[in-house]
Parts: sequence; structure tokens; C-alpha cells
Amino acid sequence: MREPTFMILTALAGEPLHGYGLITEVARLSDGRVSLRPGTLYGALDRLVDAGLVAVEREEVVDGRLRRYYRLAEGGADLLAAETERMRRNVAAATARLKTRTHRGAPRLSGGTA
Amino acid sequence: MSDLERRYLRLVKLFYPDGYRNERGTEIVDTYLALATPDRRWPSPADVVDLAGGGLRQRLRPVGATGIRSGARLAGTLALSTTTALAGSGAVLETNPATTPWFGFAQQGPLFSLGVGLWAAWLLAAVVHVVAPGRWTRLAIGSALVLTVAVIPLAAVTGLFRPPVFVLLPQACLGLVALGVPSRPALWLRLPPLAGAAAAASVSAAVLYGGGNEFPGYYGWPAGQVLPGAGVTLLLVTLLIAVGLALRDDFRGAWALLLLLGPIGMLTLRPLAAEIAVGLYGGGPNPTWTTLAAAALVVAVAAFILVALALAARHRFAFTRAAVERCAECGSPTGGDANR
Repeated sequence: MREPTFMILTALAGEPLHGYGLITEVARLSDGRVSLRPGTLYGALDRLVDAGLVAVEREEVVDGRLRRYYRLAEGGADLLAAETERMRRNVAAATARLKTRTHRGAPRLSGGTA
Repeated sequence: MSDLERRYLRLVKLFYPDGYRNERGTEIVDTYLALATPDRRWPSPADVVDLAGGGLRQRLRPVGATGIRSGARLAGTLALSTTTALAGSGAVLETNPATTPWFGFAQQGPLFSLGVGLWAAWLLAAVVHVVAPGRWTRLAIGSALVLTVAVIPLAAVTGLFRPPVFVLLPQACLGLVALGVPSRPALWLRLPPLAGAAAAASVSAAVLYGGGNEFPGYYGWPAGQVLPGAGVTLLLVTLLIAVGLALRDDFRGAWALLLLLGPIGMLTLRPLAAEIAVGLYGGGPNPTWTTLAAAALVVAVAAFILVALALAARHRFAFTRAAVERCAECGSPTGGDANR
């Protein structure tokens, strides 16, 4: 799963959001690294809806303008959980290896041969 | 309705298909307006690119061509390598002592041909791809692409020599495909454009400085052999990659081949135009604008028909998977078929 998709699903895991809310939430969650534009966002949302990962929650009219809210569907929650678990295992493996490397590479202050 | 809203709506109307525009057009524009600063009057160039990309994806969706994105990255690398190889060859050709008198070097000093700057721009793109892939590479390719098109009016205004149209047109077509280069490629994938340029320049220098060619201008062996040869090489390399990937159930190569068909055809523009000239008026030493335009039209129509047939065949016979099996972002099937 690519990062923008992961961030969209993560943003929707909190609460249903409309397009603008999703863009700002993804930017906030990623510390500004992932900056979605509307053309890209709605293309991704269409595919996520087609795939049954995201669903339209409701539509509202605010100041004469239509707002469509999206929510994480059951399939999307399962996929996000599986992807998060996969990433967690990768992080754990990398962290363990880095720790081993640090210990091995640390200078020995005592106990060497005379 | 504000001017900005009207302009966004105009862009949506321009890029998106009718049905989708009616369903989603205002939602997209409203989101743009919500993101815009109060003083904004015009959509930014990045907005235009975003809407153009979004519109293209929506147009490709019905024919099941959304997996084309992964193929575009592969095609981009192959196209960039070809453009820079041609640039390496062209740069040697234009700076060769046997060739420069023909370009008017003796009369006009160092700026004897716009081709020197043009090939330098493409070579720069190869270097940028190694040191700063992604955005900077696309900027370098875009600049070289603009220059490739601009040399025609520039040459008309300045009176300086420029590479002929049958060289510029395939370069521009390949350059368009090259814009699809991956943003964060591995180091070994950043090197082919620069390596291709160096190899082509070395071979060209060996041939040109070795003597034996009485007329090494663009209309000599580059027109008849080098450009079509580059086309055949690109075709064979793409086919080999496509077959190799297809054996692993990865169809990126097939998409790349479809994207490269047009540019590969354009590399045969000169001999094709010569054939058309023979048919029209018995032939001549060099192709005219009319025969070149006719040849380009033949190539474009043939490439379009081949791509349309391939998409129709794919849509009808294969790869009809349940939506849930597809990658949520690029539309391509997931699991073992991630790159279809």
C-alpha cells in the first residue's frame, strides 16, 4: 500500500471526513509530508469506494454547497489493521537489528586482552 | 460565482469526462476553493497538472487502463535513456570539426547552432536524474521538452541552424513519455540515462572522428540509420523487459510498450516520409513539411489504433477482477498481480 492511501485510510479511521477535512487531516497526521490535491484525492477516493474500503457516509449542504462525507468501511479497517501490523513487524525487526549493531559496534572500555 | 471558481470549473470541464464532471465536478472545485488563500485569483500550475492527471485517470478508468501508471514509470526511464542517448550523439555531431563548417560555425562563432543548447539541456536532465530524481528531474525534462519545441520558431527568428523536424519530433514525443520517470528510483535505475548518453557520445565520437564519412550531418546516417536503429533498439529492449516481467505475472512492460509505440514510430519518421515522397511526387533529396506531416500522422494514427485495440482486448478478455482485488490507489490488481 502506498503512503497516500495509507494516510487516507488512517485519517478516516478517526471519524468521517469530507474532501477538505481529509486533505488537512492527512497533512496533519504526516507532519506535512503528504500533501494531497483534490484531483488526486477524489481519484483515490473513487478507487477506495470501488474497492469497498471506503464508503460515503452522508451528504450535507453547507452555504449552498454540497459536502460529501466519507467513512472507513469494514474492509478498509481490516486492510488498515493488516498493513499496520505488517509495518509494526518491520519496524520491530529493524529496531532489533539496529540495537544489535549498536552493541556490536560500541567501543569496549574494559575486559580486553592485555 | 467568483472568477477563481469559474476558472476551476473551466479546467474541470476541460479535463474530466461529462458523467464524472456532473457527479463530482462541484465537489472537486469546492475543495479547491476551500484550500485557496483569499487573495488567489488563478489556479496554480500545480492545480492544473493535478486536474489534468485526475481527468486522465477518470478517462482511463472505463477501459481498465488504470494500471498504466506503473507502466508509465518504466516507459519514462526507457524514454529518458533514449532521449539522452540521442542527445549525446547529437552533441558530438554538432561539435565535430568535420560537421561544424556545415552548421555555419566559421561564420557565426560558438553559437553556431541551436542544437548545441538543446542537446546540453537533455544531457543536463540525465545528470539531474542521478543527483536529484523526482521533481527536479521532471523540471529538467520539462525544460528540455519546451526547448525542443521552441527551437523551431527560435531558428526561424534568429536564422541559426537547428536539428531537423524528423529529429525534434521523436525527441519531443520521447520527452513527453520521459516525464513519467519514477520519483524515487534506486540508484541503478538513475544511471541508464547518463550511461546511455555517455555510450552514445563515445560511439558517435569514434565514428565521426574516425573519418570515412564525407557528410556526417543530420541528413546522412543519423536520419537513415541511427534514429530508426534507436527505435528498433528501444522496441526490442522494451519487448524483452515486457516478456521478462510477464513471466513473473507483472504486466508493467506491456503498458510501457503501449506508451512507447508512438515515440518509437516517430523515430522512423525520415524513412517513412521518404517513402511517402516517392509515392506522392517521385521522391527527393530531403522530405518536405508535407511529407513529414503525413508520416507523423500515419505514425500517430497507427499507434492510436494499436493502443485502442490492446485496451479493447484487455477490457474484453482478461483481467476482469473483482474490485476488492484491486490496489486501492492505482487500480491494479493486488497480491501476486500487483503490477497488472
